Amino acid sequence: MTKRSTSHGSFTLERVYDATPARVFKAWADPAIKARWFVGIEGWQLLERSIDFRIGGKERLSGRKGSGIVSTFDAVYHDIVPDHRIIYCYDMRLDDVHISASLATIALVPAGAGTRLTFTEQAVFLDGYDDSGSRERGTRILLEQLASELQNA
Amino acid sequence: MAERSVTHATFTLERSYDAPPAKVFKAFADPAIKRRWFVEGEGWEVEEFTTEFKVGGVERGRFRFRGGEPIRNDTTFHDIVPNERIIFAYTMTIGENRISASLATCEFKPSGAGTQFVFTEQGAFLDGLDNVGPREGGWKSLLDALGRELKS
Repeated sequence: MTKRSTSHGSFTLERVYDATPARVFKAWADPAIKARWFVGIEGWQLLERSIDFRIGGKERLSGRKGSGIVSTFDAVYHDIVPDHRIIYCYDMRLDDVHISASLATIALVPAGAGTRLTFTEQAVFLDGYDDSGSRERGTRILLEQLASELQNA
Repeated sequence: MAERSVTHATFTLERSYDAPPAKVFKAFADPAIKRRWFVEGEGWEVEEFTTEFKVGGVERGRFRFRGGEPIRNDTTFHDIVPNERIIFAYTMTIGENRISASLATCEFKPSGAGTQFVFTEQGAFLDGLDNVGPREGGWKSLLDALGRELKS
């Protein structure tokens, strides 16, 4: 039987984008745009993607990492304020083992002609899964990929 | 338009209950029992309380307190380990305004013949409409009500 344990933690990342809050919001809200930047890093292969961007709606992103492990992101949207805020709760699974549940808050504030995005994750890691900061590093990479998307579009 | 703001906070509450983990867990898992201690407090009118206690299941509560504005609790269950753990996310809404979104972890640990219960809430409190102090106070009252339910 699995030894049950929990480890609670949180982190906050900030980034300023050279795009309006409406454009940054749209990059999360529009499934076609999000599919371009909300992807795994090198060697990652998409298995399943679906998104229902509304309060109570669900999102799933499943992919095979370079290591062969299948990671699955399952989210439920809890709060959406267009151009201002998105809050969702998500589970991560590695090969069907539930490793974490998290509350993610994305807040958008105008900053000059651009947008300051603040991403806050409050997480509980489960049953001895050792995150060692990898969630924060992974999120930083996603926000970098979002920056490239906003520059290219 | 409301001024948008988010305040993040976490609190943990612990209780020792003189009942085994299976019984404390059941007080969350069984809708009829949960209704007694979780929603039927003095002064509360319950307009709706439905729960689907499974991973991915949803619980909906619609209340008023002493005839005030409608209050909504929308919960989704993220993790259930029978007799050991429940993780759920929930939002609270008063009238048309969402006031919070939270992730809650309930842990049930054997302690002698009883249970060491640990509740952790990681919350996002919205637009200055709520904050962690009253939320923590609300859960203290609920866990006291749970204690009375377990003794009855």
